[in-house]
Amino acid sequence: MQKFTLSEDEQDVLQELMNVAYGNATAVVAEMLDAFASLSIPNIKVMPTKELLQTFQKLKESSYFFSTQAFNGEFNGESAFFINEKSAQNLAKHLELETQEDLDDAILELTNVLTSTLTTKLAQEMSTEVSFSLPSISKIPLSEIENIDTFLQYSQVIVIDTELNFQDQKINGNIFILTKDESIQWLKIQLNTILEQLI
Amino acid sequence: MKYLVTDDSKLARLSLVKSLKNVAGDVSIFQATNGLEALKVMEDEKVDVVFLDLTMPEMDGYEALPKLLEMNPKAKVVVVSADVQTKAKERVIALGAQLHMQKPINVEKMQEILDIL
Repeated sequence: MQKFTLSEDEQDVLQELMNVAYGNATAVVAEMLDAFASLSIPNIKVMPTKELLQTFQKLKESSYFFSTQAFNGEFNGESAFFINEKSAQNLAKHLELETQEDLDDAILELTNVLTSTLTTKLAQEMSTEVSFSLPSISKIPLSEIENIDTFLQYSQVIVIDTELNFQDQKINGNIFILTKDESIQWLKIQLNTILEQLI
Repeated sequence: MKYLVTDDSKLARLSLVKSLKNVAGDVSIFQATNGLEALKVMEDEKVDVVFLDLTMPEMDGYEALPKLLEMNPKAKVVVVSADVQTKAKERVIALGAQLHMQKPINVEKMQEILDIL
């Protein structure tokens, strides 16, 4: 297995592209929830899948559930969204939802809008397109995190981790964009092309 | 004219500087990677136009914006951000920014900005 790393410049380019994509996605969700979100600086790392699962295990302790959405194309992988228990309750209150079914549905829709806008915009910034396979989004029980087949197919992942934070409504979540092994090399080429065009 | 480009991302700075040089020609361009550095540049140089990102480490754009204008009330501040929420735009305009523009700034957008200023 070839071990990939991102140079400082590649990381900077990816972080900036992610910033732009996340800004767009947040604006869409903010409008949907009629709320204002603060933007955080995305954290980008190349890590083995084992390490990622350990990160997920830590988040699992305080989470309500997490959802994933796969995307395909030259840039392919999966996005994952964690929302904690308290935030889920606050979301229910904010949207005046009465049943757990309605809340689950709202969280899946939130994940759908957030992650699809994010990955679509990120792909667009890299001059490519992504498509979403059906079922486009899944609710994953926390007890099943370590057994998720899709994560086990990756040996290494580029993890782009950022936080969605609606301070007034006290709703926050963690978003991860995971790219598959074969996509990392493509991504590195794209990032360097973008940088070279500016120098 | 003196310009100051403030962004923690090298890509964002390079991209903005390239567009600025393309439209404004051979002008003085200073660079800063966060709000604190921008304030230091403003201490030493009478900057006319500041391009300011919002999400930065050390000191973000929201905090730096009023301080920059306090140091040089005649400076024009253009916020260049990925945050396109209406409330973010309203907030920076209330803090004294002339414009709020969505990243990235290409040549066409830069022309638009300089025409407005």
